[in-house]
Amino acid sequence: MTEARVCAPLRLHHATVLSAWVDYNRHMSEWCYLLAFGDNADAFFRYIGIDERYRREGHSLYTVETHLHHRREVGEGESLSMTLRVLDHDDKRVHVFHEMFVGDSDVLLATAEQMLVHVDSRAGRSAPMPRDLLRRLKAIHRAHDELAVPEAVGRPMRISRA
Amino acid sequence: MDEGQTPFSTYRTEVRSEWLDYNGHMHDSSYAIVLSDAHEELFAALGLSVDYRATAEASFYTVECHIRYLAECLLGQVLTASSIVVAANASTMWLYTELLHEDGRRAATGEFFYLHVDTALGATTAMPADRCERVQDMLAAHAGLPRPAHLGLGVGAARTGSGDA
Repeated sequence: MTEARVCAPLRLHHATVLSAWVDYNRHMSEWCYLLAFGDNADAFFRYIGIDERYRREGHSLYTVETHLHHRREVGEGESLSMTLRVLDHDDKRVHVFHEMFVGDSDVLLATAEQMLVHVDSRAGRSAPMPRDLLRRLKAIHRAHDELAVPEAVGRPMRISRA
Repeated sequence: MDEGQTPFSTYRTEVRSEWLDYNGHMHDSSYAIVLSDAHEELFAALGLSVDYRATAEASFYTVECHIRYLAECLLGQVLTASSIVVAANASTMWLYTELLHEDGRRAATGEFFYLHVDTALGATTAMPADRCERVQDMLAAHAGLPRPAHLGLGVGAARTGSGDA
């Protein structure tokens, strides 16, 4: 990545709803939304420099929490496009927000808010990110900080009686 | 103790190979599969099984799910689930489930918010009266159970110290 041009939000991943992803109604199964958001997170990891080599050397980002909002169903063969924004981070944690759209439209299918933690996988505990990773994250966060905070962020689950 | 005063906890599974990621740990998305499978047992106990839904042309649509990943799960490990009905009305159900390792450690917690949907109409619809009654009975039976501090809080609540993670 070059720091001069950080897309806000990032658009790093596209997918097609596979036949293995749909239920008996031919709609994408719920767990596949998490699969697709996971692939979007992986694309983000590669973008900031967390790849196979980084993992082999003993560090990675783990998901500690995911809050998914489903908006619409989607059928087999439809194309999906994802966005990702960095809402916040410190030296160990990254707070991100994903959106999933139908193709290149603005039809929102689902959102996912996630907390990721940088871990030393051998020690099995959280560990601060190296300086160059933090520098890249900071640049992304700066670019994304100007976006409006999505309405779903930080919203607790509750029954609306309106 | 009256059986009704304990969480619903019939579910038991072993971690399957198709649930693992490239590191041999259970994949994020597989926790959702396991939690959903556990909820299927609870639905069935309330007369809201897959068979009921097929016959009634109804389904449960997950509006929201909030999963906290607390421990890794490896191939063959036994997982059990402990669920409570947090809130419910004629067409909605909010479930909270703890996924547990055999030694009692929590592998994950999941909050799922479901709508009971008429699949033909594509709209939310009330469950039949006898099912509503059973849902309300379970809700009442779970009303006295302790609520975890993080219940109903957004992502990152635990980092401010208000959660119990």
